[in-house]
Amino acid sequence: MIKLLIDRQLPSSETIASRRNFNQILVGLPKKKTINSPWFYGAIGVFSVLFVILLNFFV
Amino acid sequence: MSAPLLYFDRFGKPEDELVIIERAKRNPEHFAPLYRKYHEAIFRYVFKRVDEEESAYDITSCVFIKAITNLPKYEYRGIPFSSWLFRIAKSELYQSFRDKKARRTVSIDSMQIGKVMEEFQIDESEHKREVLLKVLPLLKESHLQLIEMRFFEKRSFREIGDILDLTENNAKVKTFRALIKLKELYSKNNNIKK
Repeated sequence: MIKLLIDRQLPSSETIASRRNFNQILVGLPKKKTINSPWFYGAIGVFSVLFVILLNFFV
Repeated sequence: MSAPLLYFDRFGKPEDELVIIERAKRNPEHFAPLYRKYHEAIFRYVFKRVDEEESAYDITSCVFIKAITNLPKYEYRGIPFSSWLFRIAKSELYQSFRDKKARRTVSIDSMQIGKVMEEFQIDESEHKREVLLKVLPLLKESHLQLIEMRFFEKRSFREIGDILDLTENNAKVKTFRALIKLKELYSKNNNIKK
């Protein structure tokens, strides 16, 4: 059931500003999963190819 | 007499924001100016729709976390960044109602009830006011949010359209229909002839 509030006291701008905390927002951000990044697979691929080339060169 | 501020002007030039948004896409720490700018507006939007102040602060934080997370997907297509944030706030609110973390609330000023009664062309009396307040929660959510934004928050049809993903004209038509629905409910409960 919907609740109706008449002439409700809104917090002041100062009160709202005092509750602002950008660091808390940054902490709450989900951590980026490196393993899902295309950069991760790209780097692994490049190193694998380089490794095979170097292996053929020296052996 | 000066012209009333458009809601674009209320939040500054979109070009300035776009620069910050592009920076914030690369590094979330650059989102700070946008957080400072919109925190209060988003909080007030949320606060008016939930019954507990603490829930409003929590939901507001969730809105900004979601905004930063989804920022790489944001593209400017004529819709102000503020509307994009309000859309996230709307979806976070409904998620909280579904999870029963907050209760759907409508915060109204006595003055604003008078405006709705004026729109209905009915004289203001204590009994009629009570009837109107009784039927308001009976409205469908889609109708209620239109009445809420237009009459209780005094938003323009353009802003309503941007928040609800409607054209300005569609927002106008839908608000008119919501008003008719409210009037029907009012008449039924007040036993007066239309």
